[in-house]
Amino acid sequence: MQLTEKEDAVLEVQLGATRSEGGTREVSYRIGGETKLPFTEAEPDRLLVALEICDETQFWPPVIREYVGDLADQPDEWAKTAERTWGADLVRLNFTSTKQRGFDDFPGITKTMEQVLAATSRPLIVEGSSEPELDSEVFRRCGEAGEGERLLLGTAEADRYRSVAAAALAYGHAVIAQSPIDINLAKQLNILLQETGVARDRIVIDPYTGALGYGFEYSYSVMERIRTAGLAGDADLAMPMISAATDALAVREVREAAAGDRDAMAVAWEFYTAFSALAAGASIVCVRHPMTVARLKNALAAMQPASGQKEV
Amino acid sequence: MAMKALEIYKLLPKTNCKKCGYPTCLAFAMKLAAGKADVELCPDLDPETKTLLGGATRPPIRLVKVGVGERSVTVGEEFVLFRHEKTFYHPPGIMVHISDTWPEEQVRTVAEDVRDSVVHRVGTDLMLDGIAIRNESGSPTQFAETVALVEACGDLPEVLIAADPAAHEAALAECGNFLPLIHAATDRNWRECAALAKRYGCPLAVRAGDVKTLTSLVRNCVGAGVPDLMLDIAPGSLREFIAAATRIRKAAIERTDPDLGYPIVFDTVPLGITDAALAAGVLKYAGIIVTEPLSPASMEAALTLRQNIYTDPQKPIQMTPGIYPVNEPGRDAPVLLSVNFSLTYFTLLGYLEASRIPCHLFVVDTEGLSVLTAVAGGKLTESLVAASIKQFSLNEKVDHRQLIIPGYAAPLSGKIEDETGWKVLVGPRDAAELAGYLEKEWRT
Ligand code: B12
Ligand code: SF4
Repeated sequence: MQLTEKEDAVLEVQLGATRSEGGTREVSYRIGGETKLPFTEAEPDRLLVALEICDETQFWPPVIREYVGDLADQPDEWAKTAERTWGADLVRLNFTSTKQRGFDDFPGITKTMEQVLAATSRPLIVEGSSEPELDSEVFRRCGEAGEGERLLLGTAEADRYRSVAAAALAYGHAVIAQSPIDINLAKQLNILLQETGVARDRIVIDPYTGALGYGFEYSYSVMERIRTAGLAGDADLAMPMISAATDALAVREVREAAAGDRDAMAVAWEFYTAFSALAAGASIVCVRHPMTVARLKNALAAMQPASGQKEV
Repeated sequence: MAMKALEIYKLLPKTNCKKCGYPTCLAFAMKLAAGKADVELCPDLDPETKTLLGGATRPPIRLVKVGVGERSVTVGEEFVLFRHEKTFYHPPGIMVHISDTWPEEQVRTVAEDVRDSVVHRVGTDLMLDGIAIRNESGSPTQFAETVALVEACGDLPEVLIAADPAAHEAALAECGNFLPLIHAATDRNWRECAALAKRYGCPLAVRAGDVKTLTSLVRNCVGAGVPDLMLDIAPGSLREFIAAATRIRKAAIERTDPDLGYPIVFDTVPLGITDAALAAGVLKYAGIIVTEPLSPASMEAALTLRQNIYTDPQKPIQMTPGIYPVNEPGRDAPVLLSVNFSLTYFTLLGYLEASRIPCHLFVVDTEGLSVLTAVAGGKLTESLVAASIKQFSLNEKVDHRQLIIPGYAAPLSGKIEDETGWKVLVGPRDAAELAGYLEKEWRT
């Protein structure tokens, strides 16, 4: 029995570029391409788990600062450990330093970009500026330092997309397009981005993910709606999705957990949120706790279609 | 296929005699179309029409109850594939697995844990639902003894998991009157299992690895007089479960295969993967989920996920609007304006109770929207605030005329002042800063 009447597919987006593709990555990924609801096709999944790191940890959850220890001061080592030890498919580098009042260390952005790219061998997601005034310079630097690498660059929003789009266009990257839990706003932003010249297959939708227990149900449903709209033939919503429950480690359940239980609670909260996002149609889930990465990877490994899977 | 209200109406007597309890035949037709009424209520239908309508208007998924009393779980009666299409109504029962090979102490600890563990969230107490006892010893006597042990811990709903009907028979002698789910009738043992289910009036799970066998088991068991069935597709992997459950749900709600119109049971234990399977069961259509015992963190996250997914998308969990006293406030205590989204209320309350500052929490009806969402969506307005002050007689509760509004509602401060005549103070955005703010700023 068929689940979706039409056979339209989620668009394919390439992340990262190998040497032969003009970059320096050892692998590149293609996400998207699905023609059915999540976990119901016979094809192997192309789902990715990203570990988030940052360049200024005063804005990062205490539970992670404690867990990663000294790595927190070295984004490149942190990124390397994420790929080699914790098993992340890729890293999402957040320039949290740009949240500081009066930030002006632009050369530092370029330097961190270069270091992290040198330390990693897989595609890279980069979260550039947190301040509208800094957008153009920060995104330009991120884009330039990653030229040819096919970064996934974020974040474009309805009233703040020109600088990211410009950097992506100039240096050949893909863009994260974030809208606040609303299918129409997601579509509008995708159209705006395409009008500036960003190709359809260089856009990844971020429908905004509220943390489990704190609005997650809205995010879950909007992801399902975007996925089914894409499969039903709406080309401006047929992009793959990325989900990051940015507040998942700031919730009361994690903050107020006893010291000995805090890691377990953090991992459970991130895992249930991220796994559910995958079930709703996300292609990339981003988490912050290294142990969540392993749990998600295990679950996904157990979910790959077996060659002898029975048709029921 | 489902029938529309007008199609149904055409088949009714159209006399508006009200014997069905509805004012008109059309009203009755609308209830039938929504799956909310029983054709039997109209005495003037010929048997043929009754059968036709009965098949098309009963809920697409049968409502089935497991257990008795307060902790019993009722599942089924779902109408959609995606929660945004309407809502999901009956959250799955989560049953924790116990083996009859475990030592008594372990059985008791797990059962008591399920009985007593509570997660408090946004004004609701969330709990696991029951116990699934598995016959791994091969001995009916030992199975029955374990069931008796669980029974002694309290009246939790039970799932009896055994392949051997003799084991079920022994166990049902202990707990048959408490409506346990008998798991499972297969093509080998369905006669005996169905007979037991019929004798005790219990729900029965049928289990087969393919839909064809599953539906023939359903027909057999219904024929043997057991109406309350559940389906177990015996998935070999989590992926198989999701794919099969999705197909079954779709076939059921579209009524393309009436024999699939029953709740789904998902026994996750044989898969050896706990959290992902539990999440998948909650998200993808399970009615009963059997799981390994859970760590406190997993339990809290799983129950929260279930609460989220089963919240009506059109109706966030809401507080009744009104004035809530916090920490025994007097007539000079501050009044804090907020919205009736439960999450907002309980977040605020948490911080306020911790700070021990007496105040009146003045909750207005924003239809369950958060502060920012209500402001952005035009649901929190000066006229609503003014009307609510009147409605709840705020004037009579305090001697001062000052209103502290949330930081996110700052754009409304002038308008609220003009409309209400109360002096408006703009509080912080984040509830975490509220205590510090009140200590510094509050004067009457
Ligand atoms: C979930 C959500 C929704 C849900 C609604 C959930 C709900 N029940 O409210 C849905 C999807 C329906 C929705 C819809 C809309 N949303 Co919306 N939504 C959110 C989201 C992600 C979370 C909101 C939330 O649950 N917050 C948690 C609660 C607890 O917060 P709170 O009520 O504000 O309470 C806190 C404080 O205000 C304070 N507080 C509360 N009371 C008081 C009282 C006093 C005295 C004090 C001092 C403090 C205080 O304490 C609390 C804890 O700190 C936010 C983004 C975000 N991260 O905030 C966007 C957001 C609020 N939405 C937004 C918008 C624009 C909308 C829409 C208009 C358009 C859209 N679709 O996005 C619609 C409007 C809906 C309508 N019907 O008209 C914007 C608002 C922009 C702005 N700055 O004005 C936001 C900020 C997203 C964004 N970045 O653009 N949304
Ligand atoms: S009992 Fe039958 S005939 Fe009478 S109002 Fe109801 S539907 Fe119409």
